Amino acid sequence: MIFDQNTMLILTLIALAILVIQLYMEYRRKPKQAKYIPKEVIVCKKCGYEAERDYEPGDFISLVKGKCPKCGGELVIKAIYSVKLEERKT
Amino acid sequence: MATDWVSLATQLIWIILFILIFTGANQKIQMRLWSYDIRNKLSVIKSYLEQDRARVERQLKNLGVKSPDLLIKRAMDFFIIQPVDIEPTDIIKRLEHLIITGDKSFRKMVEQVIPTSTKYERSLVETGLSIVGVMNQIYKIVRHYLLSGEKENNWILLMQLEMSMPQIMRIVETYHKSLDAFLTGTPIGDSVGPLVAYRLIELGKVISKKVVEDTSITELWLDDRRIYVIKAEGPGSNVGRPGRVLYDLVEELKGGVDLVITIDAALKLEGEETGEIAEGIGAAIGDPGPEKIAIERATTKYGIPLKALVIKMDLGEAIHTMKKEIYEAGEKALEYVRRIIIESTKPKSTIIVAGIGNTLGVPG
Ligand SMILES: [Zn+2]
Repeated sequence: MIFDQNTMLILTLIALAILVIQLYMEYRRKPKQAKYIPKEVIVCKKCGYEAERDYEPGDFISLVKGKCPKCGGELVIKAIYSVKLEERKT
Repeated sequence: MATDWVSLATQLIWIILFILIFTGANQKIQMRLWSYDIRNKLSVIKSYLEQDRARVERQLKNLGVKSPDLLIKRAMDFFIIQPVDIEPTDIIKRLEHLIITGDKSFRKMVEQVIPTSTKYERSLVETGLSIVGVMNQIYKIVRHYLLSGEKENNWILLMQLEMSMPQIMRIVETYHKSLDAFLTGTPIGDSVGPLVAYRLIELGKVISKKVVEDTSITELWLDDRRIYVIKAEGPGSNVGRPGRVLYDLVEELKGGVDLVITIDAALKLEGEETGEIAEGIGAAIGDPGPEKIAIERATTKYGIPLKALVIKMDLGEAIHTMKKEIYEAGEKALEYVRRIIIESTKPKSTIIVAGIGNTLGVPG
């Protein structure tokens, strides 16, 4: 087991490189968690007007919420769900 | 000469390594590393627990409670002891009794503190409290194994704990995030069963409606058939007692039912698509036993076909705000249910459809 200094140096460098690559792979493996935001769909029962809005706490499906901008009929919450927040890269 | 020193050092390192391996000291070092890592993760769990506790506390203060600490402490350590299972006679009855008593006492506990609140507000608080309770339980169990592993130098215990930590952390994060939905009242993934049931009610012509034990039974006429829709009473956080109610309804109709369909969210296997719909036979319900057995007994007694429709999702999706994919799957499941009904029954038959799950955010 007689190594000269150069061999030792190269071995150490190779070991370090493997370590760094492994750490990087580990980091890459972790999936980035997507953000979700709650939305609600409101619909007019008279004319069929439909729109997606941000959810407000306390709302639930079938709640009457406001007047239709088109015909003045009642707006009802049809659906509440969360959608993925698209991150735009600039 | 320099090379002599290098070779001496190399030899020494090898000898030390051998000694470490033979005396087991290497494991000691590893044990330290593991317990250090577990400790770090445990402190993350603790900070989540404190955040959640603070949020529930704020919710209670908003409802006018001056010192919510007492209730939170009481609710956090609330427990139900499992019935004796080496003597199985009556076990379902005993389990049912314990679950009902547990639910009632827990509700009473909350009601005493906020008597002026509505049922809806109380249901959100109850669920918030039980989530904090679960987090507290997980925190205490992980801490217990960490401390006893360290105390007894049990590196196998610590290794097991370290290897299970990723899974535990995933569960903890899931519960931590679920508080968002439960404190605001948005439908969760698990609400998809009640949502399909509600849509069915909207489609048909309602004949009668009654509420028994937090569970609503709506009789309606749709596609030339009489349909009874059973779901937990909404829009609060509530699972109702669909099994018990279904059993009583079948008895009330003297077994005159041609088909029973249960719709529920089901845990998907890793790799399966979220929102996949699958059809099968049996009672699709994930309770500890009493509700499921009631559905099985009622249908077996009168030989009624029992069908199940499940919508696949993972645990996180089941207790977080309902994703759009799941909502859309629910709309598809509605058509699916109607198709099953038309395919397997004749006009003028009687059918029971049960939307199983937490009805948070879904009325009816
Ligand atoms: Zn309109």
